[in-house]
Order: sequence, then C-alpha cells, then structure tokens
Amino acid sequence: MTLSCVDLVKTYAAERGAIEAVRGIDLEVQAGEFTSIVGRSGSGKSSFLAMIGGLSRPSRGSVRIGDIDIWALSDDRLADFRNRRIGFVYQFASLLPTLRIIDNVVLPARLDPERDVAAAFRRGCELLDQLGLSDYLYAYPSEISSGEQRRAVIARALINEPALLLADEPTSDLDEVSETQIVDWFRGLNRERALTLIVVTHNLRLAEQTDRVIHISDGRLAA
Amino acid sequence: MYAVDAGEIGCRSRLGVGFLLASVALQNLGRREARTLLLLAAVAICSGAVFTGAVLMRSIESSMAVGFTRLGADMLIVPSGALTNITAALLTAEPTDLTLDDSVLANLEAIKGVQKAAPQLVFRTDASGYRGGETIDVIAFDPAHDFTVQPWLDQHLGRPIRKGDVIVGGRRDEALGAELLLFGWPLAVYGKLGKTGVGTHERALFMTFETLSEMRLTMQQICGARAPLEPNKVSGALLELAPGATTQQVRFAILANFPGVKVVSGESMLTSIRQGLGALLNGALALMAIMFVSAALMLSVLFSAIIAERKRELGLLRAIGARRRQIIGMLLTEAGLATAIGGLVGVVLGLFLMRVYEHSLVYYLDGMGIPFVWLNGWTTGLIAVLCVVLTSLTGAAGALYPAWRASALEPYALIRSEG
Repeated sequence: MTLSCVDLVKTYAAERGAIEAVRGIDLEVQAGEFTSIVGRSGSGKSSFLAMIGGLSRPSRGSVRIGDIDIWALSDDRLADFRNRRIGFVYQFASLLPTLRIIDNVVLPARLDPERDVAAAFRRGCELLDQLGLSDYLYAYPSEISSGEQRRAVIARALINEPALLLADEPTSDLDEVSETQIVDWFRGLNRERALTLIVVTHNLRLAEQTDRVIHISDGRLAA
Repeated sequence: MYAVDAGEIGCRSRLGVGFLLASVALQNLGRREARTLLLLAAVAICSGAVFTGAVLMRSIESSMAVGFTRLGADMLIVPSGALTNITAALLTAEPTDLTLDDSVLANLEAIKGVQKAAPQLVFRTDASGYRGGETIDVIAFDPAHDFTVQPWLDQHLGRPIRKGDVIVGGRRDEALGAELLLFGWPLAVYGKLGKTGVGTHERALFMTFETLSEMRLTMQQICGARAPLEPNKVSGALLELAPGATTQQVRFAILANFPGVKVVSGESMLTSIRQGLGALLNGALALMAIMFVSAALMLSVLFSAIIAERKRELGLLRAIGARRRQIIGMLLTEAGLATAIGGLVGVVLGLFLMRVYEHSLVYYLDGMGIPFVWLNGWTTGLIAVLCVVLTSLTGAAGALYPAWRASALEPYALIRSEG
C-alpha cells in the first residue's frame, strides 16, 4: 500500500507562540518498503509519523494511504481505518495494565465488529508464540519485562494484519538482545509479508537494516 | 504448544468489546483503592442521606395523609354554649349535657357545601355499673353517616356492626368478642379503634344510636333526666365539606339557618399542618436536589483528575481504533459503576439508619399517640432502586464533560500527555 504525503505542515500553539514542528514535507513510500526516519530530538519525526498514522491532523497538506485521503475521513471512519490498516508500536509501554497480554493483543480485533474474534484469539496466540511469549498469554503487563512488553505490542500491532506498520523508537530502552530480536522481526515481517514499515529511530543499526533512510531536520527532509 | 485451550478462547471471544471495556473500567477502579474507597464513601453518604430522607419524608407524608383522612371532619356543629377542644373536635364532640335536636342535623346536609353530616351523642357517666363505677364516655354514632369512628377501626369481628355491639377506644383493654355489662345491658365488643391521641376518643365506648335507643330508658332510670338521654337529641355533628367548598361559606350558611349552634372549624390547624408539612417536604426535596447537583460537580472534578491521568491510555485506545463514543462509554461506565456501588452502599446504610429511627423516634411518637406509617416494602424498594439509578446517572453525568473533552482530543495529543 503506497503512502504519499504532500506539503505536510504541523504547527503547535504554545505560550511563546506557534511552533512549526513539521514544515512542509513531501514524501512517497512504496508498498512493501521498509523505511526509517532519523533525526535529532525535536526535529519533527514523531509529529510527522503521527500525521501519516492518522493520529494528528496536519495544519496543512494531505496524506494518502493507497487511494484514501485519510484526513478527509470522518472521525469514526478514520478510527476504523487505523484499526484495520495501520499498526502502531511506541517507544513506551503501551499495553493496558488492567488487561492480560492476550487480551491486550486481541483488543484491536475486538474493536472491529466485523472481525471473527475467535479467529483473532487464535491468531493472537500464534503471534505471541512466534514472538516467544506463549508462556505469558495470561500474564499482566507488569509481570513481564519491558522487552517482552515491546514484543507484545508488536503482536498487537499485527493482529489485524495491517498494510502499514508505524513504529516510533521501537528499540529505545531495550537491552541489546531484545533490540536485535525486534530489528530481526521487523526485517522478517517486511520480507515475508511485504508489510510497509516506517520506523522512527535513533538506532543506526536498525536504520541500516531498512531499505531507505530519511533524514528529518528542523521539520524538513534533509538533503 | 500454547498455554491456551479452545474453551477459554471461545469463552473470551464471546464477551463483547463493551464487556471488555467495562471490565477495564472496573479494574481501573481497583487500581486506585484508596481513591475509589473515598469516592464510594462520598457517594454512599450522599445516596444514604437522600434515600433515608426520601423514605422518611414519604413516610411522614403518608402518615399525615392517613392522619388527615382519619381526622375527617372539617367542621363540628355543637350547641352554642358547648366547650370544645379543637383537637378532639375533629374526631368527636366533647362530653357535655348540652344538646341539639336531631331535626337540625337532618337539614344540615341540604346546606350547600356540606358533603356529610355525622351526628354523635356523647354521654359521660360513672353510673353505668361497669368496672365498679369507672367514668365512661359513651359515644353514639350513625354508621351510615359516620366518617370519624369507623376509619379508626383497627380490629373487628368478621361481620357488620349490629344492635348490641360496642366498639372500644384504642386505649381500652377489652378483648374482641368479650361481653360487657353496661347499665345492666349485655353488649358484645365488636371492634377496637386504633390509638388516636385524643383522650375522649381513646377511652370511650362507641355504639350505634340504635343500641343507645334500646338502652335509653334504663339509662334514664339510673342517671335521671339528663338532656342527652332524651329522645331525638344529639351532642353535635361532624361535617365533611364538599370539594371546593370553603369553611367561611358553610359557616355563614349554617349560622344563618340554625340559630343556637356553634360552628367549630379545624381548618386553621389543618391548614397550618399541611402548609408546614408541605414547606418541610419541599425544603427536603430542594436539599436533595442540591445534594445531587453538588455530588455531580464533585464527581466531575474527581473524574477530570482521573481522566487526566489516563490520557495516554485513552490515546492508545484511540490509536488502535476505538471510536470516541467507545471511549466516552468506557469512562461513563466506570463512573456509573463506581457511583452505583456507592449508591448501593448508601442505601444499605440508609436502611440501617432507619432501623435506628424505628427503634427510637417512631416508638417515641407512637407512645404519644401519633401514628407513624412506614412506607411499604415495594415503595421503599422502588425508592432504593431509584436512588441507586439516580446516583449512577449523577456519576455518569459528572464524568460526561471530562470524558467528552478527553475524547475530543487528537490521539497523538492524548498519547503525548504525561500519564
């Protein structure tokens, strides 16, 4: 699924005046491409990712995923689009602490009324098994390590078989072993499932594994 | 291979996302035990106060309604020289030897505004020979017109009253069906009245005019020629006014048509009681409304804080596809559940409080002859359910604005919040 964005701008209102986090980015990512976005802290990477993921409305510009202009969708339709077509992995623990791991993983499927929930549970179990978490299906997030939590988040991101996976610093705060596992996983997903992956990272080792590295500096694509 | 079985998957998959989000809401309450307990306590106090207040107010209201029904008479007609006790006057004439011709009373019902006229004859004697010369008030009434004696009938034999029967006042100790000898006449205790708080009424022996007529000659022989024992005489009549009739109009018409009578009206007392009670009930109702509004405001502030600290969680839910209404529903469920539990605890506390009331206030009032009628179980149950539902709705209403505001934020803004 091709992603294209045109003249993306994001301005935040702040006490000291408007802050332009993203200053007009044009980008096209082909279906099945594994892309990394790198840049210094505060360069606008995460804001850019939020706009292409349908999480933050651009101040200007448009985002098309496939043939859909996502910011032209209603709030409910956009929520459905995120649920069915986009998977998210964040840099922080993003599992609901009150749900068991399997329930966290299957939650996106249960939010979709058209999905076969029993099939989603089976798929959730398979994903967790593939990620080495089959012993923790009924554990609560607080009972597993941060690396294991990150893997559970990846399983959740994949439960609805999205066309696009967006990850924001997916390896931050992880030990080397966990980091390597996640990098390998992303690479495998991209090759085996032709999943389009866009990863925001500071991790050069992860960036080196991607098909394309995009530099963002001061809200713009760097040359 | 996996530590999961098909049955468990089937069971989990059958539970809808609504149930899942509700369970998230419930578990969120459990995560902050101290805060949840404080919330429950605050809601329980509010709900308990409202429940207790509502049940007590309704009980007082229905007690007074029963009381007003039993008080019955709007007016009393007596001979002009008769002394009257305003409280007693509403139930019966005072014992006096002054009398009116019953022909006067026959025309009373023709007066515009008079709905019922119930004649009574009250005769006080210590010569009945009953219980060694006990002073007794004998009150004769007409069962066909009476509305102040029979409504008080607490116990009676399983048949209509007839000649030779006597009804005993609420503080008398004769047993139902017992025979007593009055002026040498054997009379059967047909019934016993409830406690009215009116001395004359509570200690009197009531009989029909028919019974009295039969005993009249004997009584005259024993007591001498006393006016109340002459034929066709009554001590007075209790009047019930027709709907819309005013006491002033009826009083004027009676005084104009029947010289030599005195009209005693209980309206000023009843009106003041009714108005006082009305004001009290309205005040209590206003207090309850204020209590609910303040509870809603308090809950709104509390849920604003709760929601603020869970913004990231809400952002994550939005990011993975939860719609705004699902987020709002989850938060309202959480608020509704917490306050419903608090409301239920409050109702239980209220029931306990009312047991205390029952053992103190009610018995105290009852001892003074003021009947206190508790609401029946169904109505109390209905008020309890209403109270819990109302508390739950108040909680949900309190959480609505902060939930709506949070759900209106972009998912990214929610995720970036400190949580």
